[in-house]
Amino acid sequence: MQKRKAIKVLVSVIGLDGHSTGAEVVSKMLMDAGLEVVYLGIYQTPEMIVQAALQEDVDVIGISSHASNYGQIIDLLDMLKNHHLDDIRVICGGTIPTHQVRELKEKGVDEVFLPHSTSTSIVDYIVSNVKRPQTQAFSTDGSQTQKEIASLRQAAH
Amino acid sequence: MKRETDYGHPIKAFYNPNDIKDVDYDRDLGDPGAYPYARGYYPEGYRKRVWTQRMTAGLGSSRQTNEVLKRYREMGQRGGMLVICDRTNAMPIDPDHPIGRREVGVLGWPGASLHEFEQLMDDIPLTGQSITLLGSSAMSAIRLAYIVILAEKRGIDLHEIHGSVTEYPFCSTFGQTDAQPLDLNLKLWLDSSEYIVRNKIRMRSGILSQHFQESGGNNAQALAVEMAMLKELCSLLVHERGLDFDDVALLPYELVSVGSRFFEEIAKIRALRRMWAKMARDTFKAKKEKSCHLLISVHTSGRTMTYQQPLNNIARCAIQTLAGAIAGCTAIDNACLDNAHAEPSPLAARMSLNTQHIVADETGVTDVVDPLGGSYFVEYLTNKVEQEAYQIWDKIEEMGGMIAAVERGFVQDMLKESAQEKQREIESGERLIVGVNEMAIPPEEDYQIPIQELKRSDSEEIAREMEEWKKTRDMPLVNQKMAQLYGDAKKEDSYNLMPAVIEAVRAYATAGEIMGVIRKARGLSYDPLQTIECPFELG
Repeated sequence: MQKRKAIKVLVSVIGLDGHSTGAEVVSKMLMDAGLEVVYLGIYQTPEMIVQAALQEDVDVIGISSHASNYGQIIDLLDMLKNHHLDDIRVICGGTIPTHQVRELKEKGVDEVFLPHSTSTSIVDYIVSNVKRPQTQAFSTDGSQTQKEIASLRQAAH
Repeated sequence: MKRETDYGHPIKAFYNPNDIKDVDYDRDLGDPGAYPYARGYYPEGYRKRVWTQRMTAGLGSSRQTNEVLKRYREMGQRGGMLVICDRTNAMPIDPDHPIGRREVGVLGWPGASLHEFEQLMDDIPLTGQSITLLGSSAMSAIRLAYIVILAEKRGIDLHEIHGSVTEYPFCSTFGQTDAQPLDLNLKLWLDSSEYIVRNKIRMRSGILSQHFQESGGNNAQALAVEMAMLKELCSLLVHERGLDFDDVALLPYELVSVGSRFFEEIAKIRALRRMWAKMARDTFKAKKEKSCHLLISVHTSGRTMTYQQPLNNIARCAIQTLAGAIAGCTAIDNACLDNAHAEPSPLAARMSLNTQHIVADETGVTDVVDPLGGSYFVEYLTNKVEQEAYQIWDKIEEMGGMIAAVERGFVQDMLKESAQEKQREIESGERLIVGVNEMAIPPEEDYQIPIQELKRSDSEEIAREMEEWKKTRDMPLVNQKMAQLYGDAKKEDSYNLMPAVIEAVRAYATAGEIMGVIRKARGLSYDPLQTIECPFELG
């Protein structure tokens, strides 16, 4: 049995865009606020992000989108639903035009942070909205997790 | 509000002759056209040739980008064209790659083959304007091959073409990471640069501080990094490839990011001219005057274009364009009001081009070279930023130069810290941004700008077309050229791959295929995303 100490956030850029500065700045913001951050970096497909979210057992997935990659974020949401991971909060940031912000929220993104969102606004949102309580005891039996990861690997190839 | 330069130097309320009493006009400034060129390279300035007024193009298919280029021509794009590649091409992988096809054409031109380049340049002249293709470093050799072959096909003397299609190997270090390792980017850069210099081609190579600054670097750091890169790369061409510095000096061009701190930006460019001139003469012992000139273009800062109240960006862009024009440059490509939302809409592109036309035609800036020369403040700032830059540059040199500093992570750490600092300054209100941390309005009250975007189906269409087109090629010929390239890429690092790349491009091998084969020869995976296998018999 393990006790979770801090909220765990996975931060990733999605798709092939290489502009990583925003994601890195946000990762640091979150770490400074005491959250645990898993930073995946760039060249992450929706499959890879879901796999990492499972493996790392995260509470929040933070996606940095810089390149009209709205479609891939939708794919990610679908994948999370199919793997019964809807309780993970999904937040996005980046250069996302207003109408896409609306559409993403309609499709299941929990919040979109516009350019120049403050660290306080992002951290406060996460802390107030994470569904899993902070100190929940849970089993370390990873068998269900491994099955999910295997099926994702198959889907990716 | 912080009254400091962007690199942290306190600014006084006024400046007087005392602040620049050690400045010797002939030693430190010179008239425009005289060493050390702080004031500019040409006594006639813009009267002789106004800066090239261009706009970044690249969205959707090559045909669509071709239409955008023609539209920009109608909007008054003067003197040159500029196309940026998309994310698949930046790697490069091909548009029909299983992962690439999801976002082909999204942020730029998917220039994966000569066929694509021919479509891009349909009814667009290769001469009479500068041709600039921006993209990642590794693709440089392939872009150069496109130019060489299209010139041949159109019966044009290669030497009549000018512009830039190659880019420096460090761009992947500055917050715009790319797929290829530094040593491969460097080898291909040296190959394409050597080819250009030996064949006296007038295509420049972009060695840009713009990426560094747009990722959060400050002015002093940008100058230091720029000079360190120039020094390292020119030295390699001279010492490792056996070229003459006076020939090498015609190769680099710098794209400077110009932000809103008007006077500091002008000072930065003046200092850069002086720093290059001194290095050319003192370090590289240049024998020709022209070697002391650095071709400098300006890109107004996309980073400063806010998401909130995007119409404000028109004002920002105008201030930045004016700063670039006053500082003196050969070309300006300015960012657009919708930069934080999407690719430039026709409205945004027209607005940015018109901003350049207004600055050029209405303000009088083209009448006088270096109009702020002699200003106590601007001369002080020019000296100060240069001084601060040397301190940082010296640190880089102590580590063994730019490559060594990058390998140690020094440059990347410096950049990260600066980006964090800039973020902190905005959150604390020390630096103000109208519409963001002051004068903010509810989003519902904001002006809704038109958005230019690419749909998923558009990407899939481009992917499908490439898939079909690939089958129409002379595959035995492509395979033969790939085998040749593979053999050459297995030779020593200094063996120039340009001839083999040109042959491969001529046979319509694609960017993903060419880079894949080169990667294989060097023991890397054919596909940087490790999803597809090499389809060629390489022997």
